[in-house]
Amino acid sequence: MKNPLQLSPKDTINAFLLFFVIHSSQVGVGIHGFQRFVYHDAKHDAWISVLLIGIVSHIIVIFMIKTLEMYDSNDLYGIHQDVFGKWIGNFLNGIYILYCSTAFFAVLRNYMEVINAWVFPNLNPWFLSATLLLIVMYAFLSGLRVIVGIAFFSVVFSFWLYPLLIFPLEFSSSSSFYPILESDIISILKGAQSMTFTIIGFEILNVIYPFVKDKENVKKHVHLGLLATTVIYLAIILVSLAYYSEGELARTIWATLTLFSIVRFPFIERFEFIAINFWMLIIIPNLCLYIWAAYRGTIRLVKISAKKFVWIFSIIIFIFTIVIQTRTQINMINTQFGKVAFYIVFVYPIFLYVVAALKKKLTSQKEQKE
Amino acid sequence: MKKLRYFIIIILLFVSLVGCAETKILERIGVTTLVGYDLGDDEMVDTTAIIRQVSPEFQSRVEIITTKDKTSKGTRIKANLRSSKKIQIGQMRIVLFGDDVAKDGLRYYTETLLENPAVSNSLFMAVVEGRTQPLLEYKYENIEDIGQHIFKLVEQNITNEHLISSTLHEVAHDYDSIGMDMSMPILKRDKEVIAITDVALFKRDKMVGKLSVNDSFYLKLVRNNFQSGMLETVLTKDDLTSSLMKNSPDGIPLVFDTVRTVRDVKLINQKTPEFDLHIKMNARLLEIKSDINTGDPKQIAALEKAIKKNLTREISRVIAYCQEVDSDVFGFGEVYRSSVRNSNLTHEKWHEMYKEMKVNVKIDFTIIRNGIFE
Amino acid sequence: MFKNKFKLSLSKKQSKVESDRDGNEPKENMIPSATNSFIQAIKDATHNPSDLIVKSIPPNLTLIFIENLVDERTLNDHILNDLYKKPSESPELMKSLLSIPLLNISNLLDDALSSMMTGTVIIHIDGYSQVVLANIATRETRSLSAPENESQVIGSQVGFNESLSTNVSLVRRYIMNPDLCIEKTKIGKRTNTSVSLLFMKGIASEEMVNTLRQRINSIDIDAIIDSAALAEMIDDNSLSIFPQMLLTERTDKFCDGLMNGKLGVLVDGSSMAIICPQSFIEFFQSREDQNLRWQIASFLRILRFSAIFLSVYLTPLYVAALTFHYEVIPQAFLVPLSESRALVPFPPVFEALLLEFIIELLREAGARLPTKIGQTIGIVGGIVIGTAAVQAGITSNILIIIIALSALASFTSPSYMMGNVIRIIRFPIIILAGFWGFYGIMLAFCFILIHLLRQSSLGTPYTAPFYPPRLKDWRDSIIRAPFSYTSKRPTSSRPVDDEKSNPEPVNPEKS
Repeated sequence: MKNPLQLSPKDTINAFLLFFVIHSSQVGVGIHGFQRFVYHDAKHDAWISVLLIGIVSHIIVIFMIKTLEMYDSNDLYGIHQDVFGKWIGNFLNGIYILYCSTAFFAVLRNYMEVINAWVFPNLNPWFLSATLLLIVMYAFLSGLRVIVGIAFFSVVFSFWLYPLLIFPLEFSSSSSFYPILESDIISILKGAQSMTFTIIGFEILNVIYPFVKDKENVKKHVHLGLLATTVIYLAIILVSLAYYSEGELARTIWATLTLFSIVRFPFIERFEFIAINFWMLIIIPNLCLYIWAAYRGTIRLVKISAKKFVWIFSIIIFIFTIVIQTRTQINMINTQFGKVAFYIVFVYPIFLYVVAALKKKLTSQKEQKE
Repeated sequence: MKKLRYFIIIILLFVSLVGCAETKILERIGVTTLVGYDLGDDEMVDTTAIIRQVSPEFQSRVEIITTKDKTSKGTRIKANLRSSKKIQIGQMRIVLFGDDVAKDGLRYYTETLLENPAVSNSLFMAVVEGRTQPLLEYKYENIEDIGQHIFKLVEQNITNEHLISSTLHEVAHDYDSIGMDMSMPILKRDKEVIAITDVALFKRDKMVGKLSVNDSFYLKLVRNNFQSGMLETVLTKDDLTSSLMKNSPDGIPLVFDTVRTVRDVKLINQKTPEFDLHIKMNARLLEIKSDINTGDPKQIAALEKAIKKNLTREISRVIAYCQEVDSDVFGFGEVYRSSVRNSNLTHEKWHEMYKEMKVNVKIDFTIIRNGIFE
Repeated sequence: MFKNKFKLSLSKKQSKVESDRDGNEPKENMIPSATNSFIQAIKDATHNPSDLIVKSIPPNLTLIFIENLVDERTLNDHILNDLYKKPSESPELMKSLLSIPLLNISNLLDDALSSMMTGTVIIHIDGYSQVVLANIATRETRSLSAPENESQVIGSQVGFNESLSTNVSLVRRYIMNPDLCIEKTKIGKRTNTSVSLLFMKGIASEEMVNTLRQRINSIDIDAIIDSAALAEMIDDNSLSIFPQMLLTERTDKFCDGLMNGKLGVLVDGSSMAIICPQSFIEFFQSREDQNLRWQIASFLRILRFSAIFLSVYLTPLYVAALTFHYEVIPQAFLVPLSESRALVPFPPVFEALLLEFIIELLREAGARLPTKIGQTIGIVGGIVIGTAAVQAGITSNILIIIIALSALASFTSPSYMMGNVIRIIRFPIIILAGFWGFYGIMLAFCFILIHLLRQSSLGTPYTAPFYPPRLKDWRDSIIRAPFSYTSKRPTSSRPVDDEKSNPEPVNPEKS
């Protein structure tokens, strides 16, 4: 086993916190408007698709953990270098870094788009991008413990948003779900696939695994985190299906946010304005975890200090966020990224597991012979 | 680190100087609370907006601006030219349509409203008999803020379950839904009073007919479950058994309230189609103009039977009327869609079937209590 | 970084002074045996102040002391009397002769000088290069009084005063236990201030004691006048606006901290004691919470936390809603809000800043003025300026309510230091809200959250017990669970022994 990570106990985190890490890295901008994409394929059986992809994510995570367990204290980047050798391994690492960076970009750009479209139509996108990047830099430079802390508080502080889904139920009817399973399996699977962009994020486990103190508890908390996400997504899609009519759902761009607009308190109305801005707290851990994952990979390739890395990274992202301006461009990036992410997150881990397991068998056989 | 901090501070200062957001300070904007649309000449839109403004001279004032243009946004630009304050529509509570607009189709209006993030999904929509402009511009003696007044009027009646709710969301919901049509209250000026007189029935986005407010109770009965509500009805000779008829030859007017209903619609025949409509109804008898002894179980049972008969007849009448004007406000199509597998229902297909539709109305009526004096 | 530099330059200066002294007069530190040269040496070293008393007792004794630092009665009864009666031959003999508990013999001039400064009589015998140091210092201190800045309704009403020895004795009276360790050091090259480190052996973590001891000893400064300054110096991050160590004048709070495994620092001349480590949430817990029934204490804590939240975010929310997000205002508020603002010529952000500024002015003036005038000024200023400002159309009356409410809420913080922070961080948030509405508020919120997560107090996380999550400690955080549920000490101070009480009910019939 090459390149195991040398970690001081100060850098490690409790497995319990993985729940928050996994959950907060999954919930991000995708949740704003995943309904229409799933609905587009699976129609009113969309909730089955959501349930399905949730189950699939659990299965994928089992493979991920199995692969990581083979190496005890090494992350995906180290495993790549070990399994595929230096050159191919580093090439794959490069792809993964690029993937993390693109995910970072997609989250940031989509959130900026929501702010611009909904709250501040005239606010310069580069201002939004710069402020968010500065916050992320501040968090990133504080180290993993702080990043995980933000993930923790983001989950805890945003928990009160979900009970608000009761408000739209007043305008809902259950007949929208029937007849169950009217769509064929293919469309439901397609719908599940279109959830990719929304449900990814748990692949952060590949990188954060070696930092966990009590590895025996990893499984439990990761699966609980995934379960929480699945339950929330399922709740949202069920409420959306009941609340919107078929044509309406297909045309509402950010259906979840529109759901919030029906929420009304005696002291506040138009709750979505609060929710959208509050979403920043949900976005920040997302961004922090992706940039951190990208950094973990980058230091395997080149020696670079965290400060230098974060500046270079932020400036590149900043430029991209300004260059890509129109809704069509953003949508195109989302769909293309979703397609690629599907293979990286849902297909590749199985492949990696098979290869790693084969290699382990071969080496142990060799050792036995010798 | 030190350098970085200074750098961040400099960036923040720079950013704060350049990247200011557009302000909408509350007292410096004209807050639109109501907008009325009329059809003008040459495919123009006549927009009447009720705008609340505040300024040091007069504490608060309601201004009515009427403009004409090809698009609704265009009228807003024109309205801005006539207003001392920037007009904002984020506090809009109700949108009125003249009946010519309603007959012409509301699709375009609802869509622009939905598209605009500033507009609340919970704003109400209503139709005005005739044109909206005269209704709004009339100087009412007792109404200070007409926008507020109309909003309260509609809201009050909808939350008290007299009418089918017609918020923007529900209108959009019904418009985009295959098996359901929308309905809106109709407003009318009667001298110094604005009143809800009728309920407009729509086929998709076009108004095709109307029902009286009293009939709208039956409409609601078939469409939703009731939590509370109030109805006045007259039991006629056909409904009543001879024992009850003794003293009231022309029929018995009666009112009941706190109605609770559970409605259950079942599709029993796909071809025709045919539905079983079963409504379970509990109510409190509020007033009855007859000398029926409400303490007598026999008479109550007879009365219940009479009311059942009456309601069944009335509901069948309302359904028949709606079928006639081809407006499925009850959502029978939705029931059809959700019970028939792979129906591939479209609007056209459903409306063809709708005309042939048969509904078997069955009602369980229970008087659970009357007042505190028998 | 800044701190280090500061220290560096200071120590450089100091060492320069020391080396000069060492180079020129290497023998100066020894006490001369001849009386005259001894007197001269003392006078030179103290620059011959007017309160330096030199008294000769024939045949060979010389007493030197500083007038008001020594207790005159003891001097007369126990020293002068005895010495006149039986003139001693040697310092050792004299030590056995004098009936004073604190007696020392020294041959170093520096020793003699520094103890003279704390109220010691130097007794020199001609011909000996040693002196007897008899400590008969007066204890002139303020009498004990109720802690004025941290008052509470139920609970003890005694606070620390300015005397270190009184304060230590107060603590000793609460904790009658030989395990209460008190380590005394002197800080301040020029003031020679006594600083005591207090902790409970067997509860407090040794590692933390070492860290704090090392931090205190490595302070290189010429003057420490108050413990607040010391606290800032030994903080983990002295650049942060948030204090990481608690300053309290309550003896009971201090002892409570010690019993929870925390470390205490007392500084001579300061009525404020330092307690650390202290997490963010603990700044908002009052000692009184332990004295009330748990339901009431929990309610008060929740009230306090919501007050803090209101205090920080209420004004910014008002500014943001009125400047950018008029959509979120319910219709019932719309008319009163806009009418109250109708006459105001400024944008909401400016209006809010102005009023906040006025409130801060009033508070500051009230704090500086004598108590009686301060109160009057507060009332007059508040009412007169408030009403006049509304009538003149400078501010809206709704904003006055909001500002007053948030000022009031900020004073519910049991720690004055934290209350100040709460009031001050409001200003940047108001400005952010005035520029970018809710987005600006959220930026500030995220920034503060990350900032808090970064901080630590004596190496323990500042956001404990929430993050890292220590679920058991949550019982005594935002709420105060009944004592039977909090039988363990909080883990944030890493206590050696975490058993606090036996969770079994005292009254067996009840269970």
